[in-house]
Amino acid sequence: MKSSDDSTSKVSPNAIKRVWEAPKNVRATSPWYGSAVSTAIVGGVLSLIVLVLIVLNHFQVRVILPKLEKELEVLKEEIRSQPDNEQLLSRIRQLDLQIRKMRIRRLDRSRKGSYLLLGSLVVLLIGVKWADTFKKKMPAPRLEQDKQDEQVRQAVRARWAVTAGLAALGAGALFLALPADIDFSGAGARITSYPLAEEINRNWPRFRGPGGLGISAHTNVPTNWNGRTGEGIVWKTKVPLPGLNSPVIWGEKVFLSGGDPNALEVYCFDALSGGLLWTGDVKRAPKPDEEPFEAREDTGFAAPTVVTDGRRVYAIFATGDVGCFDFDGKNLWNRGLETPDSAYGYASSLAMYRNLLLIQYDQGAVEDEKSKLIALDGFSGQTVWERKRPVGNSWTSPIVAKVGNEYQVITVGDPWVISYAPADGAEIWRGKFVGGDLAPSPIYANGLVFAIEPYTKLVAIRPDGRGDVTKTHIAWSVEDGTPDICSPVGNSELIFLLTTEGLLICYKVADGTKFWEKDLETYFRASPSLVGDSVYLLSEKGTMFIIEAGIEYKELARCEMGEGCCASPAFADGRIYIRGLENLYCIGKETP
Amino acid sequence: MIRFGHIIVGVAVLLSLCAVVPAVERFPPPEFESGYERPSPTTPHPRQDIYEYIDVVVLLTALCLSSYLVLRNRSRRAIFILMVFSLLYFGFWRKGCVCPIGAIQNVVLSVFDRDYAVPIVVAAFFLLPLVFTLFFGRIFCAAVCPLGAIQDLVLLRPVSVPNWLESGLRLFAYVYLGATVLFAATGSAFLICRYDPFVSFFHLSGNLNIVILGACFLVVGVFIGRPYCRFVCPYGVILRQLSRVSKWRVTIAPDECVQCRLCEDSCPFGAIREPTADWPASEYNKSKKRLAFVIFLLPVLIFIGGWIGSGLRTVTSRMHATVRLAERVYLEENGKVEGTTDASSAFRATGKEVKELYAEASNIRAEFGLGGWFFGGFVGLVIGLKLVGLSVWRQRTDYEADRASCLACGRCFEYCPKEQVRLKKAKEAIGESQ
Repeated sequence: MKSSDDSTSKVSPNAIKRVWEAPKNVRATSPWYGSAVSTAIVGGVLSLIVLVLIVLNHFQVRVILPKLEKELEVLKEEIRSQPDNEQLLSRIRQLDLQIRKMRIRRLDRSRKGSYLLLGSLVVLLIGVKWADTFKKKMPAPRLEQDKQDEQVRQAVRARWAVTAGLAALGAGALFLALPADIDFSGAGARITSYPLAEEINRNWPRFRGPGGLGISAHTNVPTNWNGRTGEGIVWKTKVPLPGLNSPVIWGEKVFLSGGDPNALEVYCFDALSGGLLWTGDVKRAPKPDEEPFEAREDTGFAAPTVVTDGRRVYAIFATGDVGCFDFDGKNLWNRGLETPDSAYGYASSLAMYRNLLLIQYDQGAVEDEKSKLIALDGFSGQTVWERKRPVGNSWTSPIVAKVGNEYQVITVGDPWVISYAPADGAEIWRGKFVGGDLAPSPIYANGLVFAIEPYTKLVAIRPDGRGDVTKTHIAWSVEDGTPDICSPVGNSELIFLLTTEGLLICYKVADGTKFWEKDLETYFRASPSLVGDSVYLLSEKGTMFIIEAGIEYKELARCEMGEGCCASPAFADGRIYIRGLENLYCIGKETP
Repeated sequence: MIRFGHIIVGVAVLLSLCAVVPAVERFPPPEFESGYERPSPTTPHPRQDIYEYIDVVVLLTALCLSSYLVLRNRSRRAIFILMVFSLLYFGFWRKGCVCPIGAIQNVVLSVFDRDYAVPIVVAAFFLLPLVFTLFFGRIFCAAVCPLGAIQDLVLLRPVSVPNWLESGLRLFAYVYLGATVLFAATGSAFLICRYDPFVSFFHLSGNLNIVILGACFLVVGVFIGRPYCRFVCPYGVILRQLSRVSKWRVTIAPDECVQCRLCEDSCPFGAIREPTADWPASEYNKSKKRLAFVIFLLPVLIFIGGWIGSGLRTVTSRMHATVRLAERVYLEENGKVEGTTDASSAFRATGKEVKELYAEASNIRAEFGLGGWFFGGFVGLVIGLKLVGLSVWRQRTDYEADRASCLACGRCFEYCPKEQVRLKKAKEAIGESQ
């Protein structure tokens, strides 16, 4: 010990004695030591019991409850198709109540158990600490040893420990850095989840092309071919299953769908060679509580045209089944909507806005309130929004148009023409302009929306209104013999209507002045298309009439397919794709 | 007179209405006839501001009291009682939130994010213990920190950790501090709050993994004193540095050390430093070279650390929700994963362009790249300085509480015979003789 002249720093023997001896004396004589140990034991045992009970409770929450919840989910799925099943409803309510009671009871037990556990641990700690006061740790300095060597050894070991820590950190960093990183700018990454306008306009992604207007961006399409002799026919490929839907083109792929009672299929053809690249099978969703589906003779299984966003292709069938495939033919998702209640069979084609797949699902009578407009997320197939429509069944297809700075989904059903905001389905405007069995789809030209009431009238609507615009936003209307099937086509000056019986009429877009009409003396079901200054009209017999888009009628060419046609043609760079009743044709030059 | 009385009554009614109105909810919840009480969705429950200020006052009082008890009173029992109070108040009553440890993140975020203003209470919780440490040493750890208190309570059979092992393990706290600052600065995550092992005990519920983590710490803490405080706590890293330069600090002996050796193994936290022998002659030259090498190595370690930290940007940036979302969307878009997540579905429902998301994620990665330089450089600096410190031979003649490591718990006081003398003198002074 270090000695000092200062008397206050001297340690008296008594002081040392107190440090060494006092605990020994207390330990030997205290009667409370036993109590302290007993307290600790009681606390420990109680803690253990409560802990086991808490773990059991937690186990029940993790294992038993999820099973019941799964059962409830199944019942909820069933109730969708049987909404009037009271027994099922009652079972769902009972099970739901049972689950809630169990969960709340378990939560309550968990909470009370936590308090109990805390309390028993406190008792345990008090007991142990109390017992420890009677067994104080005696100072026990180590034997005197070579301090110098020991301290040197400690320093060496400490340096190695730090170096080992450094190595461990380095190894950890290496391990973390090993997996391949995702490079957002990589070649494989698509930079957008939906196509931009330029991309859309270069292709023919839906019924009647970009925007559903029937206008081709490519004007270098053929004007002369003969399907019987093969002149101008690049290729011709049999389509496996029948359908009235029109070809859809994206890049070097052409898409169609077909269906029969056994299969609903989507086809992908090579645009250059006509080879069938893949066939996608859309699974029919089981609907045990519905009547077996019978396709209508007019429309069959596959009247609606598919739609593509350049990443995926989507198809809907008359059964209400929707399928989505990637461009390699992999089935990404399917949805089974309720079988549409449609007098002539469901025929509305699909539309897209950004990543949203738009389905105009008009059915039944107006008072049935079954009709709706549905937006599905193209990537996952999940419903993003759904809006009820106050219309009866129709066979028109929606279009998406940019009106001013906003996009509108414009729909035609009996008796309303309704515009919706595509992002959330909010109604923008509606007008009671049409009625009857509506099949011609609307178009947007020269800042006006055109809707047709078959046999009766053509209406031009200003789409900048809000709410009910029936009385305020009609630009003009003409009451004339109007088409019952074919949709119109127009540009900034002229609009062309084509009736099923072959009457072609030309109006002035600005005010509805009729310029001319011409009876082509044949039947048409395909809608007319505008290619530059020409109008292409495809008859049921497969004759393509090419007319000048002018204020006077002038026929430019007439070409024969050699096969009946009901579907509207699709246009690409230097090519036309036409679906006949049995084959898909590519018309153009061998090398575009 | 009557008119005056009416006025008084009217004013009184108005004042009482004013008192009632703020308490009336604008959209009152339905009243259940069954007596059902709505549970509060947040923990801890939201409280009026006045209680936050009361917490600051309690903190300040506790710090003052702890300083007195540790440095003047030198009573382990009193420190223990204050520690229990702190555990009950700051831990179980306040549910461990706000705490000075987590406040680091709030302060860091406020520095890097202009849109975030750190609340004054949080700033006080962050600063007060630091200021007290600068003057009085780690008195906050002694008797005010609830995390330290809960570990201290379960310390029943202490086992000493060799100093060399402690040196290595303590590195983790520095890495944790660096990571905390990085993720808080980038607005990615509050690591300390997310991985606080004891918060679930204070809440009496919590994520199962965190409960298990906390239980492990407490089980370890039965044998190894305060493992979180010594090897993990990022706030402790700052307190260690401030405590090194504190004006006053804990001493084992009340005055002069007589080197009786009775306190040698009294500290369960390994914070007592023994007197050192003279520099061994054989080591002298070797040590000089080693020190020179380590000093030379220091900037290299800093650079390499920064380079690695920056290089790990793709890993560290995943803590940010936007980067995780972008990666998930990328994998989905390229068909590398099946299905979607809630986050990716919600993103697609916004109609936002994927390329915008990718651009945002790339920017965040770049931020992590820059932050990674500082993080890695800091870790390199710490390791380098640690090696420098271990290469320097420190002379000590007395038994001392290590300035940085000592948690001021006061356990060593009673082992010192000088302390016994002081206590006897104190008892004699107040008339309590043996």
